[in-house]
Amino acid sequence: MPDPITVFKDVSYQYPQSSDFALINVNLEVYEGEFLGLIGPTGAGKTTFCLAFNGIVPQFYGGRFFGSVTVAGLDTLDHPISEMARYVGMVFEDPETQLIATSVENEVAFALENLKIHREEIIERVSYALSAVRLAGYEKKHPHELSGGEKQRLAIAAAIAVKPSLLIFDEPTSQLDPAGAEEVFATAKALNRESGITIVMASHSAEEMATFADRVVVLSQGEVTALGTPEEIYSDIELLEQNSLRPPQVASTFYTLGKKEIAIPKVPVQMQDAIPLLVDLNQIRSGDDYAIETPPENKGKPLLSVKDLTHVYPDGTKALHEISLDIAKGEYVLIAGQNGAGKTTLVKHFLNLLQPTQGSVKLDGNNTKEMAVSELAHRIGYVAQNPDHQIFNATVGDEIRFALNNLGFDPEEAESRAMESLEAMGLGGVQDVHPLTLPKGDRARVVISAILVMKPDIIIFDEPTTGQDYLGAKQILEISRDLHQQGKTIIVITHHLYLMPDYADRVIVMGKGSILLDEDIRTAFHATDTLARTYLLAPQAVLLSQELQKINNEFPPLLTPEEIVDYFS
Amino acid sequence: MAEKIPVGEERKVEFLGGAAIDGAPITYIIVLAAVVVALSFFPMSVILAIGGSFPMSQGILGLVGWVLGPIAGAVSSGIGATIGVFLAPHTAGPIPLLRIWGSLVTSFAAGTMVLGQKRRSWWFWAWLYALLSFLYLVGRALFINGVGLWPVFANTFIDWSALILFALPTRTLFAKWINSKQWGLVIAGLGLGTWMAYGITHASITAIMYHMFNWPEEVWITLIPLIPFENLMRALVGIVIGGGVIAGLRALGLVKPEHAIY
Repeated sequence: MPDPITVFKDVSYQYPQSSDFALINVNLEVYEGEFLGLIGPTGAGKTTFCLAFNGIVPQFYGGRFFGSVTVAGLDTLDHPISEMARYVGMVFEDPETQLIATSVENEVAFALENLKIHREEIIERVSYALSAVRLAGYEKKHPHELSGGEKQRLAIAAAIAVKPSLLIFDEPTSQLDPAGAEEVFATAKALNRESGITIVMASHSAEEMATFADRVVVLSQGEVTALGTPEEIYSDIELLEQNSLRPPQVASTFYTLGKKEIAIPKVPVQMQDAIPLLVDLNQIRSGDDYAIETPPENKGKPLLSVKDLTHVYPDGTKALHEISLDIAKGEYVLIAGQNGAGKTTLVKHFLNLLQPTQGSVKLDGNNTKEMAVSELAHRIGYVAQNPDHQIFNATVGDEIRFALNNLGFDPEEAESRAMESLEAMGLGGVQDVHPLTLPKGDRARVVISAILVMKPDIIIFDEPTTGQDYLGAKQILEISRDLHQQGKTIIVITHHLYLMPDYADRVIVMGKGSILLDEDIRTAFHATDTLARTYLLAPQAVLLSQELQKINNEFPPLLTPEEIVDYFS
Repeated sequence: MAEKIPVGEERKVEFLGGAAIDGAPITYIIVLAAVVVALSFFPMSVILAIGGSFPMSQGILGLVGWVLGPIAGAVSSGIGATIGVFLAPHTAGPIPLLRIWGSLVTSFAAGTMVLGQKRRSWWFWAWLYALLSFLYLVGRALFINGVGLWPVFANTFIDWSALILFALPTRTLFAKWINSKQWGLVIAGLGLGTWMAYGITHASITAIMYHMFNWPEEVWITLIPLIPFENLMRALVGIVIGGGVIAGLRALGLVKPEHAIY
């Protein structure tokens, strides 16, 4: 067994102003050259754990710290963060918060310059780091010209240029499309294998973690609750369920089949391990009369009508190209596509936050260009991608009541609506808390609560599940379903396709500013080639279903693990 | 989480490394210096005697000292004011160097309002400097320039009131209020603390200015209502901005600079 590069010994940590411990009695050794996955529900302490590697916790945040963390033999409380940064590189969730320079090469050189490394060596290291993350040739580009995945790879390049022994990733893929996420995982794995850098990665991406990690540690309420290989952790569905974690769909499919007394030799956690098991599974063929439910087609009068919409940004970027679509009252629509496909640009036209360069957007027959944003805000609620952009009050309660107070609501009515909305989002106890002290998932819920109190007709959720654990994401989508059942029109933008079969009826797939596909969800999810054109990956259950179709061409196009299990039960 | 008891030994937590001045992270110093610069653009009033306006940033100089401590606070205010006089000359006054010096002294004086035992005598040096300046100002006005006692007494209200408040236990009381969990007390502490900290500076700067300009008794009389009004404005700025900054810092729970009193 290799030597440990990092040792957590009886580590407990309490943030200032907090009565709870963010980490409690953590004992863990991270071995040199391994890829350690870190999973846990929102609020489990994953970010705190990551920040403890280079001493940001507790040196920057203060608070109470117990035990010790040593990295390469250095105690993180006895050495300044700047010294620890030579050994520990960090890549955070949002690359935008890490990029500060005006060119890609300056970005990578920044830390090296601060460490007073010689010019010739800086040039050499910049070249090495950019090659390692496949950004060679991008040296002179402005970081903002890069895609989400490229930005995150640039942040990785800046971190590895320092030649750290250990690279910590804190949810580096949550804002990326599936292809971007896989890029980041593949880059991390390549650095791990080829350069021997030890990787610690916190992520909710179960499928990728099962593929790339050597060991996975489960953190819950600040404690290490399990540690093992991906096979051990991801096949233990009960453990994952207890911790509100999502297993890879192949694992949950075969685990549930096993529960139905279908002989399964082992629960696979990767697609490649599942495929050999499908031949045996197909022998069962108990679903010959399996009927697929088709959602009722909504052909009502269009509530939102987009005609020949083109949008060109002032810098000349053509973000939308002759888009036409109708959305009827009461529809639940998923808009999917790669980062930069034009999804957010499209929905901003619904709110008149952007105006068409050509074409029109009509709400109930009225051109949104001629409607005030405030008027549209009554009808259409918009939950933006980054909740922090919509939060500006000092307490959660004030945030929720803000719009109602400004609209002249009776204080009692405003209070009652605010409480109802907070309870619906599971935020009952935090109305007096500063919103920015909450975890990102909870901040998103605060924003959704603030929208719900307005009781709009249409609610747009722009990447609402970003940064959420499985339970948090499902809670938000359950709320969207409740609202849909109340007759609201719901539009959800997300990369997380696996979450959507239980909710969306219709899917609009966008790529490079155009609509590639506008179909019911089953047709859309099985159009894997079209999804691939916009860097989307179909859920594993869809891929399993397609693999089964290769064996038995009568196999129906199934969408979820539950449907596959039902088919064989 | 709360029920579990840590088994590890509790460690002393401190911010290590060169990225701090006197226990205050450089980032804090830079951010507050930037705020001082930004507020330098906003003129608050017209000072008739010297023919210029003073910047809104003077309202937060006390706050800078309470957040960063006397040394880092003085550094931050000094940097902010230095950049401010170049970028916003309309609020720099006739002698920009004095504007910088005044900023530095105010934050230093505010930073000496300590709560514990450490540095508990530092206030005296700021006070002594202000007292000597005040005595020179008053003496020159009364005995050299022949200004009447009443105009001098009324005109220097903010100076002698600050000297008294700073010498008495009120100095520590205001610091306790700023540290309080009750927002009413925090606001009172910020307002009175700003009044007092800038009053200390006002005496010292005015002494230098008076030495140079020797304005006549008519100007002393004209300024009687204006000077306290201007200091009241500084106190209000201190309350509004200071209240927000302290609320934010407390809520976010970031590491406290070593000599912070919020």
